[in-house]
Amino acid sequence: MCAIAAPEVFGSDDYGNAIVLIEGDLPAELEAKARHAEGNCPERAITIEE
Amino acid sequence: MSVTDPLTDYDIFDRDYVLDPFPVQEAIRESGCPIAHTERWGGSWLPTRYEDVVALAQEYETFTSRQILVTAPPPQQAEGAYAGVAAPPISSDPPEHHWHRRLILPFFAPQAVAKYEEGTRDLCNQLIDRFVESGEGDAAADYAQQIPVRVIATMLGVPTDLSDTFTGWVRGVLEAGLTDPKIRLESRMKILDYFKEQIEDRKANPRENDLITTLLNSEVDGQKVPEEYVHGVCNLMLVAGVDTTWSAIGASLWHLAQHPEHRRQLRENPDLWPMAIEELLRAYAPVTMARLVDHDVEFQGCPMKAGDRVLMAFPAANRDPRQFENPDEVILDREHNRHVAFGAGIHRCAGSNLARLELRVALQTWLARIPEFELVDPESVTWAGGQVRGPRICKVRF
Repeated sequence: MCAIAAPEVFGSDDYGNAIVLIEGDLPAELEAKARHAEGNCPERAITIEE
Repeated sequence: MSVTDPLTDYDIFDRDYVLDPFPVQEAIRESGCPIAHTERWGGSWLPTRYEDVVALAQEYETFTSRQILVTAPPPQQAEGAYAGVAAPPISSDPPEHHWHRRLILPFFAPQAVAKYEEGTRDLCNQLIDRFVESGEGDAAADYAQQIPVRVIATMLGVPTDLSDTFTGWVRGVLEAGLTDPKIRLESRMKILDYFKEQIEDRKANPRENDLITTLLNSEVDGQKVPEEYVHGVCNLMLVAGVDTTWSAIGASLWHLAQHPEHRRQLRENPDLWPMAIEELLRAYAPVTMARLVDHDVEFQGCPMKAGDRVLMAFPAANRDPRQFENPDEVILDREHNRHVAFGAGIHRCAGSNLARLELRVALQTWLARIPEFELVDPESVTWAGGQVRGPRICKVRF
Protein backbone atom coordinates (compact mmCIF):
# COMPACT_ATOMS: atom_id res chain seq x y z
CA MET A 1 0.00 0.00 0.00
CA CYS A 2 2.74 2.48 0.94
CA ALA A 3 4.64 1.59 -2.22
CA ILE A 4 1.56 2.60 -4.20
CA ALA A 5 1.02 5.82 -2.24
CA ALA A 6 4.66 6.92 -2.26
CA PRO A 7 6.74 4.81 -4.66
CA GLU A 8 9.73 7.15 -4.31
CA VAL A 9 9.84 6.49 -0.57
CA PHE A 10 8.70 2.89 -0.14
CA GLY A 11 9.39 -0.29 -2.06
CA SER A 12 9.17 -3.98 -1.35
CA ASP A 13 11.65 -6.78 -0.83
CA ASP A 14 11.51 -10.20 -2.51
CA TYR A 15 8.80 -11.24 -0.08
CA GLY A 16 6.64 -8.23 -0.79
CA ASN A 17 7.41 -6.76 2.64
CA ALA A 18 7.60 -2.99 2.67
CA ILE A 19 11.01 -1.36 2.84
CA VAL A 20 12.12 2.27 3.04
CA LEU A 21 14.09 3.29 -0.03
CA ILE A 22 15.42 6.59 1.26
CA GLU A 23 18.33 6.87 3.65
CA GLY A 24 18.36 9.67 6.18
CA ASP A 25 15.99 12.61 6.03
CA LEU A 26 12.93 12.68 3.86
CA PRO A 27 13.28 15.25 1.03
CA ALA A 28 10.73 18.03 1.49
CA GLU A 29 9.13 17.43 -1.90
CA LEU A 30 8.23 13.86 -0.91
CA GLU A 31 6.73 14.72 2.45
CA ALA A 32 3.15 14.99 1.22
CA LYS A 33 3.32 11.58 -0.45
CA ALA A 34 4.97 10.02 2.59
CA ARG A 35 2.27 11.49 4.85
CA HIS A 36 -0.34 10.02 2.55
CA ALA A 37 1.31 6.61 2.90
CA GLU A 38 1.44 7.05 6.67
CA GLY A 39 -2.27 7.90 6.80
CA ASN A 40 -3.23 4.91 4.68
CA CYS A 41 -1.03 2.15 6.08
CA PRO A 42 -3.58 -0.46 7.17
CA GLU A 43 -1.20 -1.85 9.78
CA ARG A 44 -0.27 1.59 11.17
CA ALA A 45 3.34 0.58 10.63
CA ILE A 46 4.59 3.96 9.36
CA THR A 47 5.66 6.82 11.57
CA ILE A 48 7.29 9.94 10.20
CA GLU A 49 9.56 11.50 12.80
CA GLU A 50 10.13 15.23 12.82
CA MET B 1 -37.85 -18.34 9.09
CA SER B 2 -37.44 -14.62 8.69
CA VAL B 3 -35.13 -12.53 10.82
CA THR B 4 -36.84 -10.29 13.37
CA ASP B 5 -33.87 -9.19 15.48
CA PRO B 6 -30.48 -9.10 13.73
CA LEU B 7 -28.70 -8.62 17.09
CA THR B 8 -29.58 -12.13 18.21
CA ASP B 9 -30.69 -13.85 15.03
CA TYR B 10 -28.85 -12.50 11.97
CA ASP B 11 -28.70 -14.71 8.90
CA ILE B 12 -25.77 -14.16 6.54
CA PHE B 13 -27.50 -16.25 3.86
CA ASP B 14 -30.80 -14.38 4.06
CA ARG B 15 -31.75 -13.15 0.58
CA ASP B 16 -32.12 -9.52 1.66
CA TYR B 17 -28.85 -9.62 3.59
CA VAL B 18 -26.94 -11.01 0.61
CA LEU B 19 -28.46 -8.33 -1.61
CA ASP B 20 -27.64 -5.48 0.78
CA PRO B 21 -25.96 -6.36 4.08
CA PHE B 22 -25.05 -2.79 5.01
CA PRO B 23 -28.29 -1.64 6.73
CA VAL B 24 -28.24 -4.73 8.97
CA GLN B 25 -24.56 -4.29 9.75
CA GLU B 26 -25.18 -0.63 10.56
CA ALA B 27 -28.09 -1.47 12.85
CA ILE B 28 -25.86 -3.91 14.74
CA ARG B 29 -22.90 -1.53 14.80
CA GLU B 30 -24.92 1.36 16.22
CA SER B 31 -26.81 -0.73 18.76
CA GLY B 32 -25.63 -1.14 22.35
CA CYS B 33 -24.21 -4.48 21.28
CA PRO B 34 -22.02 -4.07 18.17
CA ILE B 35 -21.07 -7.75 18.19
CA ALA B 36 -24.19 -9.71 17.30
CA HIS B 37 -24.78 -13.41 17.82
CA THR B 38 -26.86 -15.97 15.98
CA GLU B 39 -27.71 -19.62 16.42
CA ARG B 40 -28.24 -20.02 12.69
CA TRP B 41 -25.92 -22.15 10.57
CA GLY B 42 -24.09 -23.63 13.51
CA GLY B 43 -23.88 -20.36 15.43
CA SER B 44 -21.52 -17.42 15.12
CA TRP B 45 -20.56 -13.97 16.39
CA LEU B 46 -20.60 -10.96 14.08
CA PRO B 47 -18.41 -7.97 15.02
CA THR B 48 -19.27 -4.88 13.00
CA ARG B 49 -16.93 -2.17 14.28
CA TYR B 50 -13.57 -1.56 12.62
CA GLU B 51 -11.70 -1.51 15.91
CA ASP B 52 -13.12 -4.85 17.02
CA VAL B 53 -12.48 -6.61 13.72
CA VAL B 54 -8.86 -5.43 13.70
CA ALA B 55 -8.37 -6.43 17.36
CA LEU B 56 -9.77 -9.90 16.67
CA ALA B 57 -7.44 -10.29 13.69
CA GLN B 58 -4.47 -9.36 15.84
CA GLU B 59 -5.30 -11.73 18.70
CA TYR B 60 -4.50 -14.82 16.69
CA GLU B 61 -3.76 -17.00 19.73
CA THR B 62 -7.32 -16.65 20.99
CA PHE B 63 -9.04 -16.36 17.61
CA THR B 64 -7.45 -19.18 15.66
CA SER B 65 -7.55 -20.10 11.99
CA ARG B 66 -8.34 -23.79 12.51
CA GLN B 67 -11.57 -23.18 10.60
CA ILE B 68 -11.83 -20.17 8.36
CA LEU B 69 -15.03 -20.52 6.39
CA VAL B 70 -18.25 -19.00 7.70
CA THR B 71 -19.84 -22.42 8.31
CA ALA B 72 -18.25 -25.54 9.78
CA PRO B 73 -16.66 -28.11 7.47
CA PRO B 74 -18.53 -31.39 6.95
CA PRO B 75 -17.26 -33.97 9.48
CA GLN B 76 -16.18 -36.28 6.63
CA GLN B 77 -13.52 -33.71 5.70
CA ALA B 78 -11.46 -35.02 8.61
CA GLU B 79 -11.43 -38.53 7.13
CA GLY B 80 -9.64 -40.21 4.23
CA ALA B 81 -6.45 -39.56 2.32
CA TYR B 82 -6.86 -35.79 2.23
CA ALA B 83 -7.77 -35.30 5.88
CA GLY B 84 -4.54 -33.40 6.52
CA VAL B 85 -4.80 -31.10 3.51
CA ALA B 86 -5.79 -27.62 4.59
CA ALA B 87 -5.23 -24.24 2.92
CA PRO B 88 -1.93 -22.89 4.28
CA PRO B 89 -1.13 -20.24 5.31
CA ILE B 90 -4.69 -18.94 5.67
CA SER B 91 -5.67 -21.99 7.72
CA SER B 92 -2.42 -22.09 9.71
CA ASP B 93 -1.65 -20.78 13.17
CA PRO B 94 1.77 -19.83 14.52
CA PRO B 95 4.42 -21.17 14.69
CA GLU B 96 3.89 -23.09 11.38
CA HIS B 97 2.07 -20.13 9.90
CA HIS B 98 5.37 -18.28 9.61
CA TRP B 99 7.05 -20.63 7.12
CA HIS B 100 3.73 -21.56 5.50
CA ARG B 101 3.39 -17.91 4.54
CA ARG B 102 7.02 -17.06 3.90
CA LEU B 103 7.40 -19.71 1.19
CA ILE B 104 4.57 -18.32 -0.93
CA LEU B 105 5.18 -14.59 -0.46
CA PRO B 106 7.85 -14.29 -3.19
CA PHE B 107 5.29 -15.40 -5.81
CA PHE B 108 3.03 -12.50 -4.83
CA ALA B 109 5.50 -9.65 -4.34
CA PRO B 110 4.70 -6.58 -6.47
CA GLN B 111 7.68 -7.16 -8.75
CA ALA B 112 6.68 -10.84 -9.16
CA VAL B 113 3.05 -10.21 -10.08
CA ALA B 114 3.93 -7.37 -12.51
CA LYS B 115 4.68 -9.97 -15.16
CA TYR B 116 0.97 -10.91 -15.30
CA GLU B 117 -0.15 -7.40 -16.24
CA GLU B 118 0.24 -7.68 -20.00
CA GLY B 119 -1.39 -11.11 -20.20
CA THR B 120 -4.26 -9.92 -18.01
CA ARG B 121 -4.85 -6.91 -20.26
CA ASP B 122 -4.83 -9.12 -23.38
CA LEU B 123 -7.28 -11.47 -21.69
CA CYS B 124 -9.60 -8.59 -20.74
CA ASN B 125 -9.56 -7.30 -24.31
CA GLN B 126 -10.35 -10.75 -25.70
CA LEU B 127 -13.29 -11.12 -23.33
CA ILE B 128 -14.66 -7.72 -24.37
CA ASP B 129 -14.21 -8.63 -28.08
CA ARG B 130 -16.73 -11.43 -27.57
CA PHE B 131 -19.65 -9.13 -26.73
CA VAL B 132 -18.72 -5.53 -27.49
CA GLU B 133 -20.39 -5.47 -30.92
CA SER B 134 -23.72 -6.55 -29.47
CA GLY B 135 -24.06 -3.45 -27.31
CA GLU B 136 -24.85 -5.61 -24.29
CA GLY B 137 -22.94 -7.90 -21.99
CA ASP B 138 -22.87 -9.43 -18.54
CA ALA B 139 -20.17 -7.56 -16.59
CA ALA B 140 -20.14 -10.32 -13.97
CA ALA B 141 -20.55 -13.60 -15.85
CA ASP B 142 -18.96 -12.71 -19.20
CA TYR B 143 -16.17 -10.56 -17.84
CA ALA B 144 -15.30 -10.41 -14.12
CA GLN B 145 -15.83 -14.12 -13.56
CA GLN B 146 -13.56 -15.02 -16.46
CA ILE B 147 -10.46 -13.08 -15.38
CA PRO B 148 -8.97 -14.21 -12.05
CA VAL B 149 -9.48 -17.92 -12.70
CA ARG B 150 -7.28 -17.69 -15.80
CA VAL B 151 -4.63 -15.62 -14.03
CA ILE B 152 -4.50 -18.12 -11.17
CA ALA B 153 -4.41 -21.09 -13.57
CA THR B 154 -1.47 -19.46 -15.35
CA MET B 155 0.31 -18.92 -12.04
CA LEU B 156 -0.26 -22.53 -11.01
CA GLY B 157 0.85 -23.85 -14.41
CA VAL B 158 -2.47 -25.61 -15.10
CA PRO B 159 -4.56 -25.29 -18.30
CA THR B 160 -6.68 -22.13 -18.59
CA ASP B 161 -9.06 -24.20 -20.79
CA LEU B 162 -10.34 -25.72 -17.57
CA SER B 163 -11.46 -22.34 -16.23
CA ASP B 164 -15.16 -23.17 -16.15
CA THR B 165 -14.44 -26.41 -14.34
CA PHE B 166 -12.26 -24.65 -11.76
CA THR B 167 -14.89 -21.95 -11.29
CA GLY B 168 -17.53 -24.62 -10.67
CA TRP B 169 -15.40 -26.26 -7.99
CA VAL B 170 -14.63 -22.97 -6.26
CA ARG B 171 -18.29 -21.98 -6.22
CA GLY B 172 -19.04 -25.42 -4.82
CA VAL B 173 -16.82 -24.69 -1.82
CA LEU B 174 -17.50 -20.97 -1.29
CA GLU B 175 -21.09 -20.55 -2.44
CA ALA B 176 -23.49 -23.53 -2.56
CA GLY B 177 -21.25 -25.64 -0.30
CA LEU B 178 -21.50 -23.29 2.66
CA THR B 179 -25.06 -24.44 3.31
CA ASP B 180 -24.82 -27.84 1.61
CA PRO B 181 -22.16 -30.12 3.12
CA LYS B 182 -22.45 -32.65 0.29
CA ILE B 183 -21.61 -30.10 -2.40
CA ARG B 184 -18.82 -28.67 -0.26
CA LEU B 185 -17.21 -32.05 0.27
CA GLU B 186 -17.56 -33.11 -3.38
CA SER B 187 -16.08 -29.84 -4.62
CA ARG B 188 -13.20 -30.07 -2.18
CA MET B 189 -12.46 -33.64 -3.29
CA LYS B 190 -12.46 -32.62 -6.96
CA ILE B 191 -10.00 -29.80 -6.26
CA LEU B 192 -7.74 -32.03 -4.19
CA ASP B 193 -7.87 -34.94 -6.67
CA TYR B 194 -6.92 -32.58 -9.46
CA PHE B 195 -3.97 -31.06 -7.64
CA LYS B 196 -2.81 -34.47 -6.40
CA GLU B 197 -2.46 -35.40 -10.08
CA GLN B 198 -0.63 -32.15 -10.79
CA ILE B 199 1.79 -32.79 -7.93
CA GLU B 200 2.48 -36.35 -9.15
CA ASP B 201 3.08 -34.94 -12.63
CA ARG B 202 5.59 -32.35 -11.34
CA LYS B 203 7.40 -35.02 -9.32
CA ALA B 204 7.79 -37.14 -12.47
CA ASN B 205 8.44 -34.18 -14.78
CA PRO B 206 9.79 -31.18 -12.88
CA ARG B 207 9.27 -27.88 -14.71
CA GLU B 208 11.34 -24.71 -14.86
CA ASN B 209 9.87 -21.56 -13.31
CA ASP B 210 6.90 -23.49 -12.04
CA LEU B 211 5.19 -22.70 -8.77
CA ILE B 212 4.26 -26.28 -7.86
CA THR B 213 7.74 -27.64 -8.75
CA THR B 214 9.42 -24.83 -6.80
CA LEU B 215 7.28 -25.47 -3.73
CA LEU B 216 7.86 -29.25 -3.88
CA ASN B 217 11.62 -28.60 -3.87
CA SER B 218 11.48 -26.07 -1.03
CA GLU B 219 13.19 -26.80 2.24
CA VAL B 220 12.57 -25.55 5.74
CA ASP B 221 15.28 -26.15 8.34
CA GLY B 222 17.09 -28.50 5.95
CA GLN B 223 14.00 -30.67 5.38
CA LYS B 224 11.88 -30.85 2.26
CA VAL B 225 8.44 -29.44 2.94
CA PRO B 226 5.64 -32.00 3.33
CA GLU B 227 3.69 -32.72 0.16
CA GLU B 228 0.49 -31.98 2.05
CA TYR B 229 1.66 -28.39 2.43
CA VAL B 230 2.10 -27.97 -1.34
CA HIS B 231 -1.24 -29.66 -1.93
CA GLY B 232 -2.85 -27.23 0.54
CA VAL B 233 -1.26 -24.18 -1.11
CA CYS B 234 -2.70 -25.24 -4.50
CA ASN B 235 -6.09 -25.62 -2.83
CA LEU B 236 -5.81 -22.17 -1.28
CA MET B 237 -4.67 -20.45 -4.45
CA LEU B 238 -7.61 -21.75 -6.42
CA VAL B 239 -10.24 -21.26 -3.72
CA ALA B 240 -9.00 -17.87 -2.48
CA GLY B 241 -7.81 -16.44 -5.77
CA VAL B 242 -10.89 -16.77 -7.94
CA ASP B 243 -14.23 -15.91 -6.31
CA THR B 244 -12.74 -13.05 -4.32
CA THR B 245 -11.11 -10.97 -7.07
CA TRP B 246 -13.93 -11.72 -9.49
CA SER B 247 -16.38 -10.36 -6.92
CA ALA B 248 -14.37 -7.18 -6.47
CA ILE B 249 -14.17 -6.60 -10.23
CA GLY B 250 -17.89 -7.30 -10.66
CA ALA B 251 -18.99 -5.07 -7.78
CA SER B 252 -16.79 -2.24 -9.05
CA LEU B 253 -18.30 -2.47 -12.53
CA TRP B 254 -21.79 -2.60 -11.00
CA HIS B 255 -20.92 0.61 -9.17
CA LEU B 256 -19.40 2.32 -12.22
CA ALA B 257 -22.44 1.37 -14.33
CA GLN B 258 -24.53 3.53 -11.99
CA HIS B 259 -22.09 6.40 -11.52
CA PRO B 260 -21.24 8.29 -14.72
CA GLU B 261 -19.55 10.96 -12.61
CA HIS B 262 -17.03 8.41 -11.35
CA ARG B 263 -16.36 7.11 -14.86
CA ARG B 264 -15.71 10.69 -15.93
CA GLN B 265 -13.50 11.36 -12.91
CA LEU B 266 -11.31 8.37 -13.79
CA ARG B 267 -11.18 9.32 -17.45
CA GLU B 268 -10.16 12.90 -16.74
CA ASN B 269 -7.71 12.06 -13.99
CA PRO B 270 -5.91 8.74 -14.56
CA ASP B 271 -3.57 9.48 -11.64
CA LEU B 272 -6.56 8.71 -9.46
CA TRP B 273 -6.51 4.99 -10.27
CA PRO B 274 -4.49 3.73 -7.29
CA MET B 275 -6.69 5.60 -4.79
CA ALA B 276 -9.86 4.67 -6.64
CA ILE B 277 -8.95 0.98 -6.50
CA GLU B 278 -8.50 1.21 -2.71
CA GLU B 279 -11.82 3.01 -2.33
CA LEU B 280 -13.70 0.43 -4.39
CA LEU B 281 -12.05 -2.30 -2.31
CA ARG B 282 -13.16 -0.52 0.85
CA ALA B 283 -16.75 0.01 -0.21
CA TYR B 284 -17.22 -3.40 -1.83
CA ALA B 285 -14.84 -5.60 0.18
CA PRO B 286 -15.97 -9.05 -0.90
CA VAL B 287 -14.54 -11.30 1.77
CA THR B 288 -15.66 -12.35 5.24
CA MET B 289 -13.34 -14.87 6.92
CA ALA B 290 -13.96 -16.74 10.16
CA ARG B 291 -11.97 -17.52 13.29
CA LEU B 292 -12.47 -20.29 15.84
CA VAL B 293 -12.28 -19.32 19.51
CA ASP B 294 -9.48 -21.27 21.24
CA HIS B 295 -10.61 -20.91 24.85
CA ASP B 296 -13.48 -19.31 26.74
CA VAL B 297 -12.94 -15.58 26.65
CA GLU B 298 -14.87 -12.38 27.17
CA PHE B 299 -14.35 -10.09 24.20
CA GLN B 300 -15.94 -6.62 24.43
CA GLY B 301 -18.42 -7.99 26.94
CA CYS B 302 -19.36 -10.98 24.80
CA PRO B 303 -18.97 -14.38 26.50
CA MET B 304 -17.25 -16.34 23.72
CA LYS B 305 -16.77 -20.05 24.27
CA ALA B 306 -14.03 -22.36 23.02
CA GLY B 307 -15.07 -23.59 19.57
CA ASP B 308 -17.32 -20.60 18.80
CA ARG B 309 -17.07 -19.15 15.34
CA VAL B 310 -16.38 -15.44 14.87
CA LEU B 311 -17.08 -13.87 11.49
CA MET B 312 -14.47 -11.33 10.49
CA ALA B 313 -16.87 -8.97 8.77
CA PHE B 314 -14.32 -6.90 6.85
CA PRO B 315 -17.09 -5.32 4.73
CA ALA B 316 -18.80 -4.09 7.92
CA ALA B 317 -15.53 -2.78 9.38
CA ASN B 318 -14.92 -0.86 6.15
CA ARG B 319 -18.19 1.04 6.63
CA ASP B 320 -17.68 2.04 10.26
CA PRO B 321 -18.18 5.82 10.54
CA ARG B 322 -15.74 5.86 13.50
CA GLN B 323 -13.00 5.04 11.00
CA PHE B 324 -14.30 6.42 7.69
CA GLU B 325 -16.14 9.70 7.06
CA ASN B 326 -19.33 9.18 5.06
CA PRO B 327 -18.62 5.46 4.89
CA ASP B 328 -21.51 4.60 2.58
CA GLU B 329 -20.36 7.07 -0.01
CA VAL B 330 -17.79 6.05 -2.62
CA ILE B 331 -15.21 8.86 -2.69
CA LEU B 332 -12.64 7.85 -5.28
CA ASP B 333 -10.00 10.24 -3.94
CA ARG B 334 -10.65 9.43 -0.28
CA GLU B 335 -7.61 10.67 1.57
CA HIS B 336 -7.50 8.38 4.62
CA ASN B 337 -8.37 4.84 3.80
CA ARG B 338 -6.97 2.16 6.09
CA HIS B 339 -9.48 -0.34 4.79
CA VAL B 340 -9.35 -4.00 5.75
CA ALA B 341 -10.66 -5.56 2.52
CA PHE B 342 -7.56 -7.79 2.65
CA GLY B 343 -7.87 -8.46 6.36
CA ALA B 344 -5.32 -7.38 8.95
CA GLY B 345 -2.44 -8.81 10.94
CA ILE B 346 -0.60 -12.04 10.19
CA HIS B 347 -3.31 -13.36 7.85
CA ARG B 348 -3.52 -10.23 5.71
CA CYS B 349 -4.18 -11.48 2.17
CA ALA B 350 -0.95 -12.79 0.63
CA GLY B 351 -2.31 -12.18 -2.87
CA SER B 352 -3.29 -8.55 -2.42
CA ASN B 353 -0.76 -7.23 -4.95
CA LEU B 354 -2.07 -9.61 -7.58
CA ALA B 355 -5.70 -8.80 -6.74
CA ARG B 356 -5.02 -5.06 -7.00
CA LEU B 357 -3.33 -5.56 -10.35
CA GLU B 358 -6.21 -7.65 -11.72
CA LEU B 359 -8.82 -5.20 -10.45
CA ARG B 360 -7.02 -2.18 -11.91
CA VAL B 361 -6.31 -3.79 -15.29
CA ALA B 362 -9.86 -5.19 -15.56
CA LEU B 363 -11.46 -1.81 -14.82
CA GLN B 364 -9.04 0.24 -16.93
CA THR B 365 -9.47 -2.05 -19.93
CA TRP B 366 -13.25 -2.04 -19.58
CA LEU B 367 -13.46 1.76 -19.35
CA ALA B 368 -11.08 2.20 -22.29
CA ARG B 369 -13.24 0.00 -24.50
CA ILE B 370 -16.67 0.75 -23.00
CA PRO B 371 -16.50 4.27 -21.57
CA GLU B 372 -20.27 4.64 -21.16
CA PHE B 373 -22.56 1.87 -19.92
CA GLU B 374 -25.53 1.28 -17.64
CA LEU B 375 -27.37 -1.55 -15.94
CA VAL B 376 -29.99 -3.14 -18.17
CA ASP B 377 -32.23 -3.62 -15.15
CA PRO B 378 -31.02 -3.03 -11.58
CA GLU B 379 -33.57 -5.56 -10.28
CA SER B 380 -32.13 -8.38 -12.39
CA VAL B 381 -28.65 -8.19 -10.83
CA THR B 382 -28.02 -11.25 -8.65
CA TRP B 383 -25.51 -11.46 -5.82
CA ALA B 384 -23.67 -14.21 -3.98
CA GLY B 385 -22.84 -13.67 -0.34
CA GLY B 386 -21.94 -15.28 2.95
CA GLN B 387 -18.21 -15.83 2.51
CA VAL B 388 -17.61 -13.79 -0.62
CA ARG B 389 -20.02 -11.10 -1.76
CA GLY B 390 -20.28 -9.97 -5.35
CA PRO B 391 -22.60 -9.84 -8.34
CA ARG B 392 -23.08 -13.06 -10.30
CA ILE B 393 -25.36 -11.75 -13.06
CA CYS B 394 -24.95 -8.08 -13.95
CA LYS B 395 -26.24 -7.24 -17.42
CA VAL B 396 -25.18 -3.90 -18.84
CA ARG B 397 -25.82 -2.11 -22.13
CA PHE B 398 -23.67 0.43 -23.90
